[in-house]
Amino acid sequence: MATTTSGVYIHVIEDVVSKVREEFVNNGGPGESVLSELQGIWETKMMQAGVLSGPIDRSLVQRPTPGGGPLTHDLNVPYEGTEEYETPTAEMLFPPTPLQTPLPGTADNSSMYNIPTGSTDYYNTPGTENGSNADVKARPSPYMQPPSPWTNPRLDVNVAYEPERGNTNQQFTQDLFVPPSGKRKRDDSSAQYQNGGYIPQQDGASDAMPQVPRDVICSSSKIPQVDGPMPDAYDEMLSTPNIYSYQGPSEDFNEARTPAPNEIQTSTPVVAVQNDIIEDDEELLNEDDDDDELDDLESGEDLNTQHLVLAQFDKVTRTKSRWKCNLKDGIMHINDKDILFNKALGEFDF
Amino acid sequence: KSPNSFSSLKRQIPSQSTNGSSCIHRHPLSFRRRSSIVEEVEIMATFELYRRSTIGMCLTETLDEMVQSGTLSPELAIQVLVQFDKSMTEALESQVKTKVSIKGHLHTYRFCDNVWTFILQDAMFKNDDRQENVSRVKIVACDSKLLTQ
Repeated sequence: MATTTSGVYIHVIEDVVSKVREEFVNNGGPGESVLSELQGIWETKMMQAGVLSGPIDRSLVQRPTPGGGPLTHDLNVPYEGTEEYETPTAEMLFPPTPLQTPLPGTADNSSMYNIPTGSTDYYNTPGTENGSNADVKARPSPYMQPPSPWTNPRLDVNVAYEPERGNTNQQFTQDLFVPPSGKRKRDDSSAQYQNGGYIPQQDGASDAMPQVPRDVICSSSKIPQVDGPMPDAYDEMLSTPNIYSYQGPSEDFNEARTPAPNEIQTSTPVVAVQNDIIEDDEELLNEDDDDDELDDLESGEDLNTQHLVLAQFDKVTRTKSRWKCNLKDGIMHINDKDILFNKALGEFDF
Repeated sequence: KSPNSFSSLKRQIPSQSTNGSSCIHRHPLSFRRRSSIVEEVEIMATFELYRRSTIGMCLTETLDEMVQSGTLSPELAIQVLVQFDKSMTEALESQVKTKVSIKGHLHTYRFCDNVWTFILQDAMFKNDDRQENVSRVKIVACDSKLLTQ
């Protein structure tokens, strides 16, 4: 019976795969190879997330051989891939960089993540399968990854390699805003959890605008307007009050926060300003109805960076301002670690 | 008639007589049929909240990619996710024995759709081995009684 977090995860993966195997193989399903691919990608992602460790393959008992390698690694550098283990799958996910990591020293994987969760036992089977890409496809490979997804959206790596100015500006200001570019197509479900991910490093949600224009715009209140399309951006600007508004009735701030859409907005500056005034007031009236912090947490903040506990509750009680709750069967992600629990007793003071 | 058709089932359901003696004669096979119907309903009730965990997000992303690339059909992807819900719930129940205590300042609480959401500040998580402190944590908890396993 698996007792470590990683072990439980492996068990779950195996359980899921074995139970859906029938669906894949029979009834005209996609087949066993697709199932293996699914498992492989899933495990790869989990290893890159730093929650899975050790010999992944249950049938082959491989012990990772700790090798030399840098013990510290800057998580803020872009993902560095080992070309030896390039697989089509991994390539689709992460464009490899010229930097190579030594093959046998796959303990490098652990150092990349800086996460103590049993990360020293990083998967090392490829040591026996040198250059065998076909096999590696089905196995998690010691791919370096950008900062752990909990601190950086995983899929943003691709975005990082395709810099697009327009995207950048928009993404800094709205976490809800799905960039119009097509390259985020696979990212729909988790778009809201990410900051748009132009930059693979996670310095914090407020590290938005490196550019000066915001201040400039703030003070001038006359923004050089460039006629152009993208009414959608404007609409979305209004529909995401969380990002735009909280500065008060001053439309300067609102406009300033999104210099890109401003530039793109149609019409003259005067008209635009008036529109902003009217609509901002309406937006503002409604905004404070919600608890901003809760909303921000759910939508504005990258879910991966916040500490999260997912569980079931048996009982929640309160006496005056003292809350007690009995939780069970939970997954905690705190301090970049995954911790599972069977029972939890919570005592909170409100 | 298909064995799972409701009309065939109706035949098997015993009728209670007024004098209290309900003489139930059922072909044993009918039990299986009925239970398979019931089973199907139960299968659909899963907690999706574990999909927000690391393992769940990894799976979701994997499935998304495969659906996008056309390797996998969306229906099958959903089936996999549902199976994940079940497997994860089961594994947490059976394989994990850790007890944890949580203490902190409750900043926000919300109960909606049978889901409690707490936001704690300066929270401390303690179990036998170690202790973790976080400045802010969100707890999402579903009602355990809702899940019929």
